[in-house]
Amino acid sequence: MNTLTAPTVAPYGENRGGLPPAAAVAAQAASKHLIFSLGKEEFAVPVSKVKEIIGMLEVTPVPHTPDHVRGVINLRGKVVPVIDLRAKLGVPTAEYDERTCIIVVQPEMAKSVYLIGVIVDGVSEVMPVQSAEIEKTETFSHGLISASYVQGVAKIRGKVKILLDLDCVISQADLRQLV
Amino acid sequence: MATLAGLCANIVPAAHSLGMEETAACAERLAAEVAAPGPNFSSLLEQQIELLQLNADTELAARLSQQRVAAGGPAEIFQDRSMIGDFIGEAREHLEMIEQELLLLEQSPENPEPIHAIFRSFHTIKGLAGIFNLTSTRDLAHEVETLLDLVRNGALPATPGLVDVVLACADRLGEIVNLLAEDSGDEGVPLPDNTALLERLRNQMMPPDEDPVPAAPPAGAAPPVGVSPPAGVSPVAATVFTAPAALPAASFGAESGVEGDSGAARRRASDLSSAQVKVDTSKLDFLVDMVGELVIAQSLVQQDPSLVQFGDPRLGRNLAQLGRITTDLQKTAMSLRVVPIRQTFQRMQRAFRDLVKKSGKQAELELVGEDAELDRSIVEQLADPLMHMIRNSVDHGLEAPGEREQTGKPNTGKVRLAASHQSGNVLIEISDDGRGLNRAKILKKAIERGLIPADANLPVDKILELIFEPGFSTADQISDVSGRGVGMDVVKKQIHKLRGRIEIRSEPGIGTTFLLRFPLTLAIIDGLTIRVSGERYILPLHCVQEIFRPEADSIYRVKGTQEVVMLRDRVIPLLRLYKLLGRVPERTDPYSGILISIELEGRRYCLLVDELLGKQEVVIKSLGEYFSAVPGVSGAAILGDGCVGLILDLDGLLSQESLDAAA
Repeated sequence: MNTLTAPTVAPYGENRGGLPPAAAVAAQAASKHLIFSLGKEEFAVPVSKVKEIIGMLEVTPVPHTPDHVRGVINLRGKVVPVIDLRAKLGVPTAEYDERTCIIVVQPEMAKSVYLIGVIVDGVSEVMPVQSAEIEKTETFSHGLISASYVQGVAKIRGKVKILLDLDCVISQADLRQLV
Repeated sequence: MATLAGLCANIVPAAHSLGMEETAACAERLAAEVAAPGPNFSSLLEQQIELLQLNADTELAARLSQQRVAAGGPAEIFQDRSMIGDFIGEAREHLEMIEQELLLLEQSPENPEPIHAIFRSFHTIKGLAGIFNLTSTRDLAHEVETLLDLVRNGALPATPGLVDVVLACADRLGEIVNLLAEDSGDEGVPLPDNTALLERLRNQMMPPDEDPVPAAPPAGAAPPVGVSPPAGVSPVAATVFTAPAALPAASFGAESGVEGDSGAARRRASDLSSAQVKVDTSKLDFLVDMVGELVIAQSLVQQDPSLVQFGDPRLGRNLAQLGRITTDLQKTAMSLRVVPIRQTFQRMQRAFRDLVKKSGKQAELELVGEDAELDRSIVEQLADPLMHMIRNSVDHGLEAPGEREQTGKPNTGKVRLAASHQSGNVLIEISDDGRGLNRAKILKKAIERGLIPADANLPVDKILELIFEPGFSTADQISDVSGRGVGMDVVKKQIHKLRGRIEIRSEPGIGTTFLLRFPLTLAIIDGLTIRVSGERYILPLHCVQEIFRPEADSIYRVKGTQEVVMLRDRVIPLLRLYKLLGRVPERTDPYSGILISIELEGRRYCLLVDELLGKQEVVIKSLGEYFSAVPGVSGAAILGDGCVGLILDLDGLLSQESLDAAA
């Protein structure tokens, strides 16, 4: 249950390697999760889904998209869409500050390989989460956050981490409906 | 000479012991050749050595794969997708070459070069098919090879009929390759039945007015391992051996000369594949992306205020040098995306030949400027529209020979396909010397189909453009070749999709010319960078007609609905771009902004923007799958400061739905 290396938020262009590759993580019994915060809540996502973490960049808005789709960024020559997790989960939005960062993930089930950035308030650490620690929550009710985005909760060292279903969060379903 | 004979003597038993029967047979033939040199000795020897090499390569590979199978490996090597991928790629290349060379052969049946090249390609395909256990495919290639061998040895003339059969076989092989390419790899694909083709091949092998070639297959001339010999093989094998021996004996030069010749042959063969590297397109795109980033990073460094302040001349020189290198690198990277149009043109040649045969007309195709280079994706996607237009030229444009004679034209019609560079564009011309477009007929048909009102008074060029209207077809009868109602409208759409333009010129009785203009590359767009409510956007420059500040009192609102602007006595709808983009306006007074007049499908609009930032060439980047359904944006570009600017898609932006939504 040790706290492992906390990811450092690198300014644009410096974090070339990103996080350790998924293969190395899978070797251990418990899967490593990236812990990030949104307001007062702490969330966890498997690091295997995370490609890299970058500091906040200038975002170019794309017209006729839902509010939580903030636009696109230039990730070393790649044009990557970014969504605001606060807006997506219905948490009141806040000003971006120096702790704000973008978690770049690669969605599963996509027809082609592409990346999506998720704006969060800040990342804190990477820690292993045993599957025994995860409580499945059929009827999860946590303020404003919709149950469909939550896979479960894990209580680690007395603190509750919400396991977020990233693929569900970044699905394009709402984008399609709008258009 | 003695060395060569010695070598052959060594190869034969070695090949036998490995079960490489064809290689052994080859070596034996070579030995026989060396022992009794004929008049064409050098060229025959060259062939034999080459063949030996090919056989050794393919049989060795086949053996290896058989061993793998025997050792309990996957029985179907199909499962290895990357290997089959290589096979598909290589086979396609060879088939393409076969097609080109066959056309050459048809034009000059006496020339031995094409037949050798075709033979080599079929042989390689045979070998590859053998490796992948594609027995029927291998047998087909083998049979073609047998036939070609007869031609090569002068036992059969290269008649058009023969070329037809070989082309048909190449087509069948192409089909098989396509089937393999589409196959998911889990199970074998059902391959087409080749029996009829094999029959045709064997019929060709019967020499016209001659007794059957004496059948005397020498020992060791067995077919490749595990193949039951097809019926036509043995007489052929005999020919291979008897033909050179039947030639009168003649003295021949020294050994060194022989070596020189075979060396030249090898060089020639390697020339065909020289200086080419196959690279995954995604790697290329990545390289171009990275170079783009480098250019941005370089300009950021060069303009960095603290460096500029430094004012050190040496630093300045070095930075300038860095800038030059970056620019060169960018140019080179961009040039990687362009390819010569040759490949597509040559495909047309083949299609043309078949079309002419089917139509019963006489015509020749002239290709000009195959070296003109343009964007890879344009070259690939150009084939369909070009094919369609060539089909039209042959089917509708050119007259039947009798009709041509009456009008004093030569019996053989002419179709010309030319490519050239013109003022930063690539110009492709498809012209024929046929009857030209019949304006009266077009007009009549357009009225019949309700495309234009009966009393419409159209200028000449507008009449010709009617053929691009959907559902228009001028052919009186539906023929096998063209005139199925999918017509020029599809061609025009395809060309527009490639950011090209099409024009028609036609003189009755003299001919028709289609002019296609394409940008050199689809990767770069000439754009106008504009600012609308604080965000930068890029407008494709080719749509922009005019940029101006509105004059006082030139903007009206007609009946409280659509805003219009008066420009030199013309009334043009005024569209506020911030509304179309759903942005909160910085300012709403149109007189403080700038108007950009654009033309879209013959209609003019004026767009209101806040500020004009300049003209810029930008590299187009896709917005990806996530935004695939967003209208009004065709892509994105990385601007000079590293931020993303969106490229506006005026078609989508000004579609009726978008306009309604904004209003």
